[in-house]
Amino acid sequence: MTDLAQSLIDALALGGLYALIAVGVTLIYTVMGMMNFAQGEFIMLPAYALYVLAGLPFAVAVGAALVTGIGIAVLAERVAFRPVRNADLSAQLVTSLAVATILQNVVSASVDARAQSVAAPALVSESTQIGSLSVPNLEILTLALTLAVLFGLGWLLYRTRIGLEMRAAAENFEMARLLGVRANRVIAIAFAISGALAAMVGVLIVMQTGQVSPTMGLTPVLVGFIAVVIGGFGRISGAVVGGLVLGALSSLLGTYLPDGLVPFRDAFVFSLPVAILIVRPQGLLGSAAGEARI
Amino acid sequence: MSGRGLRSPASAAASLLVPLALVATTAALGAGGTPAFEDTVTLILCNLVIVLGLQVFIGNSGVYSFGQLGFAAGGAYLAALLTIPAIFTILQTPELPKLIADAELGPLLSTLIAAAATGVLAASVGWPLMRTSTLAIPISTFAFLIVVYNVLANWDPVTGGSSGLVSIPTTTGIGSAALWSGVAVVVALAFKRSAAGYRLQATREDEVAARSIGIGLMRERLLAFTISAMLCAVGGALAVHQSGTLSPKTFYFAASVTTITMLVVGGARSVFGAVVGTLAVATVNELLRNLEEGASVLGLFSIGDTPGLAAIGLGLILLVTMVVLPDGLSGGREAGEIGPLRRWLPPGLLPTPAAAMAERARPLPVTGSTTGLRAEGISLAFTGLQVLRGLDLELHPGEALGLIGPNGAGKTTLVNVLSGFQSPDSGRVLLDGVEVTGLSPERLARAGIGRTFQAALPFAGLTVVESVAVGAMGVGAGRRRAVEIAAEVLGRLRLGEEAQRPGGLQPPGNQRLLGIARALATGPRYLLLDEPAAGLNDEECGELVAILRGVIEDFGCGVLLIEHDMNVVMDLCSRVQVLDGGETVAVGTPEEVQADPAVVEAYLGTSYAAGAHA
Repeated sequence: MTDLAQSLIDALALGGLYALIAVGVTLIYTVMGMMNFAQGEFIMLPAYALYVLAGLPFAVAVGAALVTGIGIAVLAERVAFRPVRNADLSAQLVTSLAVATILQNVVSASVDARAQSVAAPALVSESTQIGSLSVPNLEILTLALTLAVLFGLGWLLYRTRIGLEMRAAAENFEMARLLGVRANRVIAIAFAISGALAAMVGVLIVMQTGQVSPTMGLTPVLVGFIAVVIGGFGRISGAVVGGLVLGALSSLLGTYLPDGLVPFRDAFVFSLPVAILIVRPQGLLGSAAGEARI
Repeated sequence: MSGRGLRSPASAAASLLVPLALVATTAALGAGGTPAFEDTVTLILCNLVIVLGLQVFIGNSGVYSFGQLGFAAGGAYLAALLTIPAIFTILQTPELPKLIADAELGPLLSTLIAAAATGVLAASVGWPLMRTSTLAIPISTFAFLIVVYNVLANWDPVTGGSSGLVSIPTTTGIGSAALWSGVAVVVALAFKRSAAGYRLQATREDEVAARSIGIGLMRERLLAFTISAMLCAVGGALAVHQSGTLSPKTFYFAASVTTITMLVVGGARSVFGAVVGTLAVATVNELLRNLEEGASVLGLFSIGDTPGLAAIGLGLILLVTMVVLPDGLSGGREAGEIGPLRRWLPPGLLPTPAAAMAERARPLPVTGSTTGLRAEGISLAFTGLQVLRGLDLELHPGEALGLIGPNGAGKTTLVNVLSGFQSPDSGRVLLDGVEVTGLSPERLARAGIGRTFQAALPFAGLTVVESVAVGAMGVGAGRRRAVEIAAEVLGRLRLGEEAQRPGGLQPPGNQRLLGIARALATGPRYLLLDEPAAGLNDEECGELVAILRGVIEDFGCGVLLIEHDMNVVMDLCSRVQVLDGGETVAVGTPEEVQADPAVVEAYLGTSYAAGAHA
């Protein structure tokens, strides 16, 4: 019983982390129609901020990580993604792949290609006793952050003017423009929020694994993509569901797979989208009929 | 007789020979250099086979797959395990099945077996993957790549785990690498110019239009995906037998980025581009690598392990290409289609329509004993809005039925239901007495329902003759027959002069005619036209009516015409059905309908009145 509760909390925490990643990917997809490969690097660079500023108070380093995430996302949008804004999906995808490659290798070349260790503050590496359960503080933090972010985003999207503009842009970009939505501003803000989300994810991952590496964003970005596919494209709610499903599955497989198969956990987790897409090609929350433009 | 193909023989020959000559020249340069240089060039040629493999799928479908390097890895591992001497196999992979472990095959046999096995793998993995949307394929194939990596890196007793394999016989020389590159060029070009290749390219240009001429997305993508995977497996098998070592990282993310960059820089749509891109990127890559301190010439596949200047350069090249030159160095054209060469080569000629008519024994598909295309009680609602309310419609072979009504009456939606693009909530569609309700557009197109769209939806990347011929290919015609049909249709529509020009550059009137030509090439028994005269001037409208009349008389097909230009409707149609608010207001001869008070009320001072007085 305790074991089950423990693994459920683990599952929920990992699901929350994955949901944060997926929401970051979805935000950019909704305003620009782009699946952003470089989202992984928006996670990796803030993590390196923690590594570089290891001597400073932790809060300062986290603040710097957030600024890094927002800064790199906005910069990438301005320099690389704006010129291909009207290109097709494949062109945008490949462009983001180029950005990801550049950022990854700039870090490899300037820091090191190998993983570096980063010490997490004592508070997050401890656990809190709740009844008979011992819950790692990091999991509590992750869950709290996920909830806060989701409520914050919900408020932003549905209660503010910029949120309205973003939803309008997601619905019909050209029409929104004609009605006075400032495209550049909306997209830049979406990137900034997405960068901030990625930074939080980066910080959480560093605290969990205690290390940074140039390729650390690769698995998270794939996780985010797949969560988006599972959830049905372009819906924040779908991204959250997809992230939770994927994270929970990954966590539970880690606990309950027979020992010999644990190393193959990723293979099982990443086969999931294929299994889901066989049954529902439009994703879990996607609408049934892809409306043809005719 | 010259010019029986879609491209002129000279252009086709140049498109084949120029890339082959590039491969041969590269190999000759490599063979003339130092052993280290020769090794590098050999690896580049192995890489070229993989890039050509990518071209087959990505170039023709327009959809990016990140999974093809997973197939290169699969092919490489199988080929390596088949060739590593048994004594080493026992040490590295103790639990490998005996059959493979004991095998000590030669390079050719192991490569062919690896390609065949990978083909089977790709067909089975691709079956679910290709069912997903254009948007999901890059992601699900990326997931496949990670699954392959995860299995290779952790299944130690069978794959050697993350440390990989050594003692692989180094049998790939520059000669065999060049030979296989040549084979890959031929395969890629042959596929691109095959009926299957054209069908896939049509889906790249416009998925909706492609489905309307009988092309099933999944089937076409799966075939290319499988051929592509087999070429990648060959490239992988060649590469490991050059370097002699193999690890799960050899064909992973970094190699994916490298090969995709090569393809994109050259121009993904063209085989020539794949060759040019591979050579250009490899050259720049080697230069950058030599700039780096302590760079050893290990070849391209070590990029993942030695990041830095070269990899940053690669990313920058990819980024700049996407922003400045999205069609790549080749502009997406084959060697025989590029400016100077094109002017120098004789243009491709079509058989003149008259000659084609004489050569062909039968006209386009004959009509059997038919009972017409019937819709019975069709209802359809979109999120609460009732668009069609129990509509009936009957279209007989050999007649032209006008479908008119104010905007929002449900005309296009009804055509969508008849052609399978929308499933009705209730009611049935009968094609010559057989119920076809809810069948896919591609099935219905093959069953004899052709249609056009309000937008022209051109296959912009194909020439005029190609984009019509692909209509015939879509319903199963071979290449040769498709060209004959296209020639006849184009002649009939007076577009023969434009045959070799790009479809995307035609003026709007011609694009509209092209849409009709494309549908006609499928040999439809029922042709549904959605506002074919929109944007045409009076003279062009007259021509259109004459053309359609000829089509009805010669082929006996039934034409359903949605049209706002009443002159066209009155000239052509023997019956007219008027819709309003998703219901039939009137059916009858043009005269009867014009006199019907309900019709006048439905229109009340709109184009109908103008048309009636004109």
